[in-house]
Amino acid sequence: MELKKRILATIPAYNEEGSVGKVIEEVKTHLPQAAVLVINDGSTDHTSEKAKACGAIVLDLPFNLGIGGAMQAGYQYAYEHGYDIAIQVDADGQHDPEEIPKLLRALEVEKVDVAIGSRFIGDSGYKASTMRRIGISILSQVLSMIVGQRITDPTSGFRASNRKAIQLFASDYPQDYPEPEVVILLHQCHLRMLEVPVGMGVRYSGESSITKLRSIYYMAKVLLAIFVDCFKKPPLLE
Amino acid sequence: MLIKIQIVIGALSIILLLITFELIRKKRLREEYAILWLFTGAAVLIFSLWPAFLLSQFFVRITGIFYLSAVVLIAFFFLLLIVFHFSVVISKLTSQNKELAQQYALLALELNQLKKNGFSPA
Repeated sequence: MELKKRILATIPAYNEEGSVGKVIEEVKTHLPQAAVLVINDGSTDHTSEKAKACGAIVLDLPFNLGIGGAMQAGYQYAYEHGYDIAIQVDADGQHDPEEIPKLLRALEVEKVDVAIGSRFIGDSGYKASTMRRIGISILSQVLSMIVGQRITDPTSGFRASNRKAIQLFASDYPQDYPEPEVVILLHQCHLRMLEVPVGMGVRYSGESSITKLRSIYYMAKVLLAIFVDCFKKPPLLE
Repeated sequence: MLIKIQIVIGALSIILLLITFELIRKKRLREEYAILWLFTGAAVLIFSLWPAFLLSQFFVRITGIFYLSAVVLIAFFFLLLIVFHFSVVISKLTSQNKELAQQYALLALELNQLKKNGFSPA
């Protein structure tokens, strides 16, 4: 169904040499028609070489920009090269590329602009610490209230975007806590989003950017960022 | 006592003004940032020359603090403005820096692919 559409899988990677190759191969297996772009966010290990060896296009950022800046660079690439759909997959292997067709179907059938893979609709087999569960639950309730739509997994970075969303993200992408902040941005720009149940595994390697001890601090900062976002002037879409 | 404070503060503000002028002259400080420093130096100098100046008297009257504290308060206020200005400038620079890095990476990738396809830059 998506054969005519040009699809780009974007994989932001920061020091993920241990897992990036496997993720690229899995994306290629489950989505052979897609091009794979790895955004190497100033890694100090061999992420870039590993990704190139696995046949991905590699966008090497000159220094670490953080996930927001890296993802935006990916969307800029997708926009400039005329891709119709961009799919965001984590390089740590947490997202199962086998689930990508579910996201694509949501774009196709439900006619939404962004499909978000959620761990918390249905049984995904995802296990999280109590601390993280509480944090995600507070965050999802706040976000759901703001955007007037049920958001169960605000920190999920497993997403598919259509051309309209790609264009928006290429010019405007939140930098601090992009995953939850993008939800607000989409709401402000009247783009439609939909959560899709997906299974998520454990990471192949690396650690979450949210460690246990910092989760309260993280929560406070994310909520503050979301609060500030609500007062930001939304970007104009042409 | 007052005259001693006046001399010390006056001398400090004159040194600040001179350094600012010199840095602008040598183009080591952009006028954009220098203007707040010039205002700071000038304000402190004025208050040290005329302790009875309206604003310092006003501060003394409403807050009940002494002349020296009023001068420190005024200097502090200007420093606050400068630091705030810096935050704005740093934010702008950070965002420009990010855009540069992104555009650089996209161009480098494009160039590498062109080279691979047999294109050689003149």
